[in-house]
Amino acid sequence: MPSRSVGRSVVRKEGRGKVTGAARYIDDLTFPGLIHARTIRSTIPAGEIVDVAFGFDTSGFTLVDYRDIPGRNIVALIDDDQPCLAERLVRHVAEPILLLAHADREALLAADVRIRYREAVPTYDATTSPIAFKTIAIDKGRIDQGFREADVIVEGEYRTGHQEQLYIEPNGVIAVPEHGGVTVYGSMQCPYYVHRALKVLLDLPDDKVRVVQTETGGGFGGKEEYPSMIAGHAALVAIKAQRPVKLVYDRVEDMLATTKRHPAVIRHRTGVKRDGTLTAIDIDAVIDGGAYATLSAVVLSRGVIHATGPYRCDHIRIRGRATMTNTPPNGAFRGFGAPQTQFAAEVHMDRIAEALGIDPVRIREINALRPGDRTATGQRLGRDCSALAVLRETVKRTDFKRKWRAYARLKASRCLKASRYKEGGSRGIGLSLFFHGAGFTGGGEVKLASKASLALTDRGARILVASTEIGQGTRTMHAQIVADTLGVPYDCVDVNAADTGQVPDSGPTVASRTCMVVGRILQRCAEDMRERLGRLTPREYLKRHGPLVITREYERPTDMAWDDNSYRGDAYGTYGWACDVAEIEVDRETWEVKPIAFTTVHEIGKAIHPVLALGQIEGGSAQGLGYALLEEVVMRDGRMANAQLTNYIIPTTLDTPPIDVVILENPYKHGPFGAKGVGEMPIDGPAPAAINALRNAGFDLREIPATPERVMVSEKQEPRHALHA
Amino acid sequence: MHPFSYEKVTNEHEALERARLGKATFVAGGTTLVDLMKLNVEVPTALVDINGLPLNQIEDRSDGSIRIGALVRNGDLAHDSRIQSRYRVLSQAILAGASAQLRNMATTGGNLMQRTRCYYFRDPVYPCNKRQPGAGCAAMDGYNRIHAILGASDTCIATHPSDMAVALVALDASVHIRAANGERVVPIMEFHLLPGDTPDRETVIRPGELITYVTLPSGPFGPRSAYVKLRDRASYEFALASAAVALQLEGTTVRSARVALGGVATKPWRALEAEQVLTGAAANKATFLNAADAALTGAVPRRHNAYKIELAKRAVVRALADALTH
Amino acid sequence: MSITPIDRLEFIRITAAATSVRKDTKSGVSVAPSASVTRALALRVNGEAVRLDVDTRVTLLDALREQLQLFGTKKGCDHGQCGACTVHVNGRRVLSCLTLAVMHDDDDIITVEGLERNGVLHPVQEAFIEHDAFQCGYCTAGQIMSAAALLNEPCGPSDDDVREQMSGNLCRCGAYPNIVAAIQSARGRA
Repeated sequence: MPSRSVGRSVVRKEGRGKVTGAARYIDDLTFPGLIHARTIRSTIPAGEIVDVAFGFDTSGFTLVDYRDIPGRNIVALIDDDQPCLAERLVRHVAEPILLLAHADREALLAADVRIRYREAVPTYDATTSPIAFKTIAIDKGRIDQGFREADVIVEGEYRTGHQEQLYIEPNGVIAVPEHGGVTVYGSMQCPYYVHRALKVLLDLPDDKVRVVQTETGGGFGGKEEYPSMIAGHAALVAIKAQRPVKLVYDRVEDMLATTKRHPAVIRHRTGVKRDGTLTAIDIDAVIDGGAYATLSAVVLSRGVIHATGPYRCDHIRIRGRATMTNTPPNGAFRGFGAPQTQFAAEVHMDRIAEALGIDPVRIREINALRPGDRTATGQRLGRDCSALAVLRETVKRTDFKRKWRAYARLKASRCLKASRYKEGGSRGIGLSLFFHGAGFTGGGEVKLASKASLALTDRGARILVASTEIGQGTRTMHAQIVADTLGVPYDCVDVNAADTGQVPDSGPTVASRTCMVVGRILQRCAEDMRERLGRLTPREYLKRHGPLVITREYERPTDMAWDDNSYRGDAYGTYGWACDVAEIEVDRETWEVKPIAFTTVHEIGKAIHPVLALGQIEGGSAQGLGYALLEEVVMRDGRMANAQLTNYIIPTTLDTPPIDVVILENPYKHGPFGAKGVGEMPIDGPAPAAINALRNAGFDLREIPATPERVMVSEKQEPRHALHA
Repeated sequence: MHPFSYEKVTNEHEALERARLGKATFVAGGTTLVDLMKLNVEVPTALVDINGLPLNQIEDRSDGSIRIGALVRNGDLAHDSRIQSRYRVLSQAILAGASAQLRNMATTGGNLMQRTRCYYFRDPVYPCNKRQPGAGCAAMDGYNRIHAILGASDTCIATHPSDMAVALVALDASVHIRAANGERVVPIMEFHLLPGDTPDRETVIRPGELITYVTLPSGPFGPRSAYVKLRDRASYEFALASAAVALQLEGTTVRSARVALGGVATKPWRALEAEQVLTGAAANKATFLNAADAALTGAVPRRHNAYKIELAKRAVVRALADALTH
Repeated sequence: MSITPIDRLEFIRITAAATSVRKDTKSGVSVAPSASVTRALALRVNGEAVRLDVDTRVTLLDALREQLQLFGTKKGCDHGQCGACTVHVNGRRVLSCLTLAVMHDDDDIITVEGLERNGVLHPVQEAFIEHDAFQCGYCTAGQIMSAAALLNEPCGPSDDDVREQMSGNLCRCGAYPNIVAAIQSARGRA
């Protein structure tokens, strides 16, 4: 069948609404009789609530605490350890305790609630925390043997901090009591996560809870699990007040209270032969889960599975721990553990090359995974393994080897001069090779059993999925897949709102699964629909046979196997492969670090919509450069001290260098039109590429962000990191 | 936000009368005031809108000086051709600050009254002597990488955030202040106060007084001047350290100089020690390095901001080199 | 009966028709509002004369959104730190979150809704669609209003000149490369 829209950059479904201001986000909506809610939060990191006092006239207010919860007081997710409203124990600053609601926002903000606490001793250090939410062990081969085979052992410790998602639209929902239940509208990635959490919290059956996603101003993971919390709060108030309730966070509250990327401390000990062959990889990774488990177990899982980077090695030992600290829970953020572990892996790889005296390209060429190789979990890679292809294309395109040698020589000559102020700009070029598994980890997709539906319309079809459009182009890309499979023009495919009252559970919009997994289910719906239509047009079919809705469920590829107990098997259906090269300039007089060029080659199976795919790659790269160079959450006594955009800074357009993107296509046989996932991978590579560029310029950093004070003290004397075995 | 009355005035007399009668707060661009009112850091009960006053001109005076109305917007000032050619450092400093939108709003007078970006001042959860005298200081022993290394006291280490005011210090500007009983002219160096025991008092402005003009003398310093700002990101960001410098040369010798620092001190900081080193010395890198050292001799670092000493020195050296070669 | 969301424009029309009284957000509840101060304003918004009664505390942003139901202008941070609320006041781009509505008596305000002329998009809007210069769309109105103002401001020809002038509009999706391309193409056309 001729492809008519796939591979072409058709106009976004919601484009005009977004440029004219007509698109409606949650704060743009209201309901008759609507009141506003506010969350009263703990001001201590650990302890017990002693009592609560109201310093205002409470008449006219709706007050809600844990006693108003009809079901279980939890935010249902994985471990069910997080209360929706604290009862007695407080485990972090900004933990929700009470809800107030009033029709007048000024009155609401003025209401003075005083809570007395009995404080406990908080834990802030994730590496020494005695409480682990999850530990994971991955073993391949025999690590002792691997080290015995090594000529050189290289060790290192790498640290990454929190990162705030900083979607420009803060979290917000509206809850409306209706039909003896509740409907929640809101800014979110996963309507069915919210649906399930509300059922448990409110003790309501399926059909009494309805969740509708409104136009969503960015998520990046930050609206994966947190909306279940805020939706629960609004729903509790709405049910008690029997009025529609709006709960929209302001920026400060959003930064103080909602999830962030897990900070990580990752130690590597690697055995390598003189020729560069890896013989043993030993990794210890600790991620800071914050006060409750939320998604930490699965963030850790993705983190450790990606912890080796895209390299082959017969002897691997990986130990991962997600621990508890008395800070707000960390959660999903684009990349989901992989940016932390691949930062460590890729900076470490440059240090291994340095210890052996070979260049960063060679060490990667020798060790990059190839088709037929097995990953740390023993997954045998198929023909769509493209690590070498992306590496070679990037190296060629950037003239990497020549530049890398030239900058390294300049650095060496500078080291000889002991002048106090080094003059002029110093350039560096750095590379990172990385991969990213698409879809849920291990048996996750089987457990999810996602569904998608397609309804025949007069002019074509209507897509019914719970996948959300959060800027990445879900509606557009799904419509392209359906249009071409069904054989109708792109414009003839409509996309239903992500409304649990109307669409089946397609799983969450996370994990780079919306195209590859949900898109594939939709494609199967469209294939079936095409068969049913035969030679009839949609209009003729409807006239003759009546309505037609086709629903299909996820089918596990028969060649996939995973054992969750041993952590062995096919961790993901497939992987995307990418290589970044960052070229930076360090002003040696002022320590200003400026990315001047950024090149990335991404192998993503198939770009359904090239411009949208480029947008994902450019955007993820920009966020990755922010992670590398600018973004630092300051936790003081368990509270984010810089919770304003004036003090937590993200890249402006001037901080974002021109980004040269090349997309390679090596089709995945189970993806729609061969597509793999693309959303997350771009954020895995920029930080190590930028830090490796700094290394090439003469600055040895093991921690991000590379703020001026860190760059200042990181100037290298001479390489001496290798311990000879 | 707490309720307040609002009145727009159209002449100075009216403005000063309102201010004399009650506790009025003047509002012009609003970029600092409205921001801090939302945070409950500023809680005015009466706002007097002075945007209607005829103070939005940049005028050449017969003595060669330039008089800038207090309501001239930062963007207009920076793009004025006279400022660009004769007072380069001022144009550079303004354009290095904020964003195009904010520069369209913020005024010359308002910029002088700008308040610190200290995390703890802006967040009423933390104690702050500037916000509430006697409450204590969360920055002193807290996270303080953005805080001051010069001009601090036992009560406050908040940095002054302005770029424009730093340039004005390097240009020997004067601030014209009108009160109901007359006008006074204050040299820019004396306009901002050190925190001392009263960090809540940031300028010499007394209740009821109004900034009307800023004048730039014709002096020797305008053209050979430069502003260098070092910050965490490339734009739309406050300084970690900045330097405004101006040089008067005689051949290859520095006849006189002005050096001012931003981002590192509790007020726009004039580095007289650096100026002394420069005066009479050869205009070269070695002199500039000595001047930079001198500028920072009195610096007192805290736990997280020691890097600013070296950073500020680098800013001074870079700015002097830039002014020299310009 | 099922309640469906309506945008606020529609809602205000309904309630205005039902009550014929000025919108009272206080709902007759006896808390604090006794001291609030209300002022009458006359201004032009998107070319139309508008009369408003505003609480002195209301920002221009909130007045546009809550009272005039112009929801295109977004609140990203409410403190002048993101640029999402950029509008034009008397032809110049400003941040509507950092200025009080009461200060704009007699002013001429243009929001993103006012750029379209008779159904024809502004060249900047056209260019944003052509270049896919947005993803989530939340910063987009601010980007477009900034860019539309930039067409009439002093700005050098290079991409970096545009970047400097656009650095007050944050985009977390990182659509920056496409935004710069869109603006350069709109400048070429204008």
